[in-house]
Amino acid sequence: MYLVAHIDQAICSETACRLCTQYCPEANTILYDNAAKTAFVAVDRCKGCEICVGICDDLAKHHAIKMVMITDLENQFEMSREGFRPDHWDGKHS
Amino acid sequence: MSVKNISITPGWEKYMTKEYQDLVERGPYGKQKKVSEMGSFKEVLEEHPMCAGCAMTLFIRLTMVGLPNPEHTVLIGTAGCGRLALTQTSIPFIYGNYGDTNAVASGLKRGLEVRFKDQAKDVVVMAGDGGLADIGFSAVMHSWFRKERFTTIMLDNEVYGNTGGQESGMTERGALLKMAPKGKMFEKMDMMGLAQTAGVAYIARLTPTNPTRVASVVRKAVMIAREVGPTFIQAYTSCNIEYAIPTPKVLDDAREIEAKRYGFTEIISDEAKAYLDSIDTSKKVKK
Ligand SMILES: Cc1ncc(C[n+]2csc(CCOP(=O)(O)OP(=O)(O)O)c2C)c(N)n1
Ligand code: SF4
Ligand code: SF4
Ligand code: SF4
Ligand SMILES: [Mg+2]
Repeated sequence: MYLVAHIDQAICSETACRLCTQYCPEANTILYDNAAKTAFVAVDRCKGCEICVGICDDLAKHHAIKMVMITDLENQFEMSREGFRPDHWDGKHS
Repeated sequence: MSVKNISITPGWEKYMTKEYQDLVERGPYGKQKKVSEMGSFKEVLEEHPMCAGCAMTLFIRLTMVGLPNPEHTVLIGTAGCGRLALTQTSIPFIYGNYGDTNAVASGLKRGLEVRFKDQAKDVVVMAGDGGLADIGFSAVMHSWFRKERFTTIMLDNEVYGNTGGQESGMTERGALLKMAPKGKMFEKMDMMGLAQTAGVAYIARLTPTNPTRVASVVRKAVMIAREVGPTFIQAYTSCNIEYAIPTPKVLDDAREIEAKRYGFTEIISDEAKAYLDSIDTSKKVKK
């Protein structure tokens, strides 16, 4: 088992600064839900580097991202299953 | 390629992969995307096997956002880590032999100018410090002296990352690596100075600490190469494996190296500056 990044959407949506998205090395991995005004992670693309945690903690100063065991997540988003369809996101993912 | 070429023939959508459909419908084609829009559009870069937390991966991702016309761009790379991601973009990629990227790019760019008289085609070389400053050095220098109109981007991780830690000309003096166990004995090569001597129209050195800056530097370099002359970007893209940087610290390292020695420098010729000013004004006039 391994750790992936997980975003607390209640904290993130207060500002939704979008900084983590710009620093994640992987493409289309931290996504942005326009309707719910929050960032969220495509867990199947996350390589667990923790760069986004440092960005949210130290640069954004919002502390919304934690590393969690992938098996402890419910309702996570997988890009390979759902594709890149922003119209369908709408706060549906954890 | 062009936007028309990537569109799916009506009726065939269901036979194409999700990733391809997403790219056609929600990709960056035909409009310059901003770094602040990342996470809201389908990127041209797909999944790839580069290491977790690699700064080079981040730099490549940001470069793809900075390209002014990805649908009219051809990438040239070679052996080394970067091509593992570059080959997973929806941009035509040519795998040059290790060392001949800038010779291939020269011929290709000239050929494209003959073939597509009414459509600018951008050629961008992206390769490692070993590929460009060591084995490809003479092809790089000659392409600059001949004023070939394409962009050269050096992914400078200051080591041969892909082959397990040999020193390159771009490694810092004294650096200890697996295959430089006594420390490198010579100074880091001054590629910026060499580019200036060769008359490169736009030269930039930077690190990936500021994503908007990376995209903007890439855009400038590609635009200037289109109209004025050769351009060169030297990017610090640390190898966290060979320099043993824990991945959560990769950006701290980039900030530290930037502050200590790498900095952000741009050297631009008068002609290139005038050209940039002219495209900025023409945009304002159009509004
Ligand atoms: C002509 C030739 N010589 C040697 C090699 C073996 N080789 C593959 S990658 C590489 C080094 C890559 O170093 P660099 O260009 O700095 O890229 P990095 O992997 O660090 O990104 C070498 C020597 C090769 N592929 N071709
Ligand atoms: S850096 Fe933090 S607050 Fe900003 S978008 Fe990312 S998770 Fe949300
Ligand atoms: S842990 Fe790394 S790969 Fe995963 S979302 Fe964060 S920055 Fe991206
Ligand atoms: S070996 Fe180094 S440069 Fe290559 S992908 Fe891994 S971290 Fe990046
Ligand atoms: Mg290298």
